[in-house]
Amino acid sequence: MDQQGQNGLLRTFRESWRNRGPIGLVTSGGLISFYLLLYFTDRIDPIAASLGFRSKWLFYGFVYCLLMIAGAAYYLSKHGNSRYNRVRIATNVGVQVALAFTLPLVMPMFGQPEFYFSYVWPLDWYKLHPQTLQAVPVYLAVYSLGTALLAAPLLAYFFGKRWYCSWVCGCGGLANTFGDPWRHLTSNSTRSWRFEKFFVHAVMFVAVISTFLLFLVHFVNEPSSAFHTYVAGDQWWSMKRLYGAVVGSILAGVVGTGLYPIFGPRVWCRNFCPMAAMLGLFQKLGRFRIAVKPNMCISCGNCTTYCEMGIDVRSYAQSNQSFTRAACVGCGMCAHMCPRGVLKLENAPRLQPEKRRQGLPIVDL
Amino acid sequence: MRIVIIGNGVAGMEAALTIRERDAKAKISIVSEESDHFFSRTALMWVASGQLSHQCIEPLERDVYPRMGFERVRARALGVDIEAQTVELAGGRPALPYDRLLIACGSRPRPGPWPGTELDGVGHFVTLQDLEWFEAELHGGPGKKGRPQNPDAHLEASSQNSPYLPRKVLRAQRNGRPPAHPAVVGGGLIGIEAVEVLAAAGIETHFFIREPWFWPIALDDRESGFVTRRMQDHGVKVHLSENIERLDGTTSVEHIHTDRGQYPADLVVVAIGVMPNTDWLESSAIKRDAAGGLVVDQGLECSAQNVFAAGDCASVRWWNGAHRPEQLWYTARDQGRLAARRMLGDQVSYQRGVLYNSAKLMDLEYTTVGLVNMNIEGEQNWYFEERGRVSSTTRITVAEGRVIGFNFLGRRWEHTVLTRWIEERRALPWVLEHLGQACFDTELTPPLQISQAEKDAPLFGPAPSVMKETTRAPLA
Ligand SMILES: Cc1cc2nc3c(=O)[nH]c(=O)nc-3n(C[C@H](O)[C@H](O)[C@H](O)COP(=O)(O)OP(=O)(O)OC[C@H]3O[C@@H](n4cnc5c(N)ncnc54)[C@H](O)[C@@H]3O)c2cc1C
Ligand code: SF4
Repeated sequence: MDQQGQNGLLRTFRESWRNRGPIGLVTSGGLISFYLLLYFTDRIDPIAASLGFRSKWLFYGFVYCLLMIAGAAYYLSKHGNSRYNRVRIATNVGVQVALAFTLPLVMPMFGQPEFYFSYVWPLDWYKLHPQTLQAVPVYLAVYSLGTALLAAPLLAYFFGKRWYCSWVCGCGGLANTFGDPWRHLTSNSTRSWRFEKFFVHAVMFVAVISTFLLFLVHFVNEPSSAFHTYVAGDQWWSMKRLYGAVVGSILAGVVGTGLYPIFGPRVWCRNFCPMAAMLGLFQKLGRFRIAVKPNMCISCGNCTTYCEMGIDVRSYAQSNQSFTRAACVGCGMCAHMCPRGVLKLENAPRLQPEKRRQGLPIVDL
Repeated sequence: MRIVIIGNGVAGMEAALTIRERDAKAKISIVSEESDHFFSRTALMWVASGQLSHQCIEPLERDVYPRMGFERVRARALGVDIEAQTVELAGGRPALPYDRLLIACGSRPRPGPWPGTELDGVGHFVTLQDLEWFEAELHGGPGKKGRPQNPDAHLEASSQNSPYLPRKVLRAQRNGRPPAHPAVVGGGLIGIEAVEVLAAAGIETHFFIREPWFWPIALDDRESGFVTRRMQDHGVKVHLSENIERLDGTTSVEHIHTDRGQYPADLVVVAIGVMPNTDWLESSAIKRDAAGGLVVDQGLECSAQNVFAAGDCASVRWWNGAHRPEQLWYTARDQGRLAARRMLGDQVSYQRGVLYNSAKLMDLEYTTVGLVNMNIEGEQNWYFEERGRVSSTTRITVAEGRVIGFNFLGRRWEHTVLTRWIEERRALPWVLEHLGQACFDTELTPPLQISQAEKDAPLFGPAPSVMKETTRAPLA
């Protein structure tokens, strides 16, 4: 049956493990420890090897897929009555299993590199490194450049960043499946929004500048120069290594996933992901929006509570404002949870922004 | 200017914000007995079930009072002295002087007219205190997260007959268990919300409805049957055409007696409607109608000078000329804004356009626009039931060859488009042809398909209505 809207009341706030109770905290501790071991030690390698995986990363990919499938089953048991939710989650899990696990697993068997098609620069910051581009076959280099610089922004312009963040991306996929039980923990305070706006754009800026610098040293500088060492050297303090450790390992892994049960599943996507920030800018200029049915909102707060990006959807709904927020990943849960059918995700030509009522705690971006 | 607003519900709060937007200096005091913070009364059911926390249903951040410069008065108002222009407060608090007064004191639950309603375990589902009672009965206590800090601060300045007093919880008496035999009385929106909360907690619930079908004021018998089946699918025992005669028990409720039989009951939610919450104005010189509504003119001004009323407690003029309150969230909000403008001296008047409302009945979404079930002279109805991957009903009411109303279950509709069609006096075939344009379904929901034969199906006569007399449809 294709029934839209929340089907049966949820018990979200009555379940301790979903509200920073002991099990939630232990889960968080476990995830953090796992990521520390994975990124900063060799402890996972023997486990991966004993299970027959070529590398710990493929083993990690396997575990990732399992968590996503289990989480998808949980999510669909609660929200699978709506066709949008079913199709979206199935696509996201399918992309992960096919493009981020199976293909990288088998490509080397055909003499190809282990290539992750669904991770795009700047999320996969290494994809546009000059060395990477030179190391892979030409068709893959063209793919990396084409997806990052052309396809991703264009699709975000026409369909919003949801095409990536909620349908394709592995980080988003894990958040929307395994992380779904904690989506209500994302803070929607104005303070958390200020934090988000600063950090997500800062990381994006760093990602772009650092990629540019890598090109610069690659084509211009002598490999032995000090500048080269600072930017692309192998010491832990080189820019290249620091970005990998801080953004790639700590923010995306340890913090981003480890804190699911404490700050909600989109800590990384919302506050740090350079891809999300960049696509958000194209989304803001583009055609995606959340349409609000005027004067029908009862201010219940279901939309705001279940927004995993901390957007105060209700503040727009109750002031009759159709809106596009850069942060919105288009998961569709606000529209799904709304008991009065006030909200609808759509791709449509832009409307004139109406004048916003002043004084209310509504801030833009 | 000194402004006093009684009630921090949607009407009162919207008025306060509207005034502050225009006048940065006015001294605005908001008197609210029930709670420190503005919350959405429409959302009580989700807190009761645990889908939302107490803080989730507060539309504004908690610092809005200091940020907007509102003075919070957490006390019960006991009356208005219209000569001295003061509001008397309970608990020996000094009277509050005003230049302009807005009364937005909302509704209180209508008490059951049967013997036994004073027993413990019998309650309502309207106020924040009712919610806490319901939560404690179901889950053992209020949700931990986001509960306001001073839920009981008003008890020092309240009175015996206040609807905001905490209620005794029977859960301890039942050895810490939730009720085993709850009953809900009253086939309206609040009743079905209470039923849904109990059903979601996995408790078999008896739902007593006096009328021959659920919610006859809005649904016809077929639509209602659709909803009743959903309730039964969730294990609810629906009793139609059954009248309560009395409740019995020693100190707490044990049985519910109806004209059909007797049932065990250890919790009874009485949801037979609400009435204007104005008994505290009994001895004040402000005119009320027979039901207690504050009679207002088109500018929402009461019979006393500088006194205005908005929201559930205001008796306003309806489309058919009658005076009564509109007990809706949207109208309360609009009235609050309008009253605020009047208080600031704008010459605006309250006019309600085409009626609309929406609700969710179990998991069926409901939208209505225009005049439906209103017993309009010569009315006819077109009805379509969809039973495919989506189950939905569509009913269109026609009078004098033009469409005057819509009633939908199971799908989402854009009421502003439908409103426009009513105002444009569209005919039924045109509306059926263009119905897709008013669809507001979630992306990927299979579209509603209606064959030509179904579009041409014969109309049926007037829908059964609770309105006794027929009325002519107003000209748009
Ligand atoms: C369970 C439930 C579900 C509902 N669902 C819907 C819905 O889906 N859609 C819809 O349109 N409507 C719905 N309603 C109706 C809607 O909630 C009301 O129409 C609306 O809240 C009215 O707002 P108001 O500001 O007039 O009054 P209220 O929200 O009732 O506020 C009254 C205020 O007055 C204060 N007050 C009262 N008396 C005194 C006194 N003597 N002294 C001091 N303070 C006092 C109280 O503290 C309170 O702050 C629902 C109502 C209930 C109970
Ligand atoms: S938009 Fe819907 S979910 Fe959000 S506050 Fe309004 S009615 Fe509730």
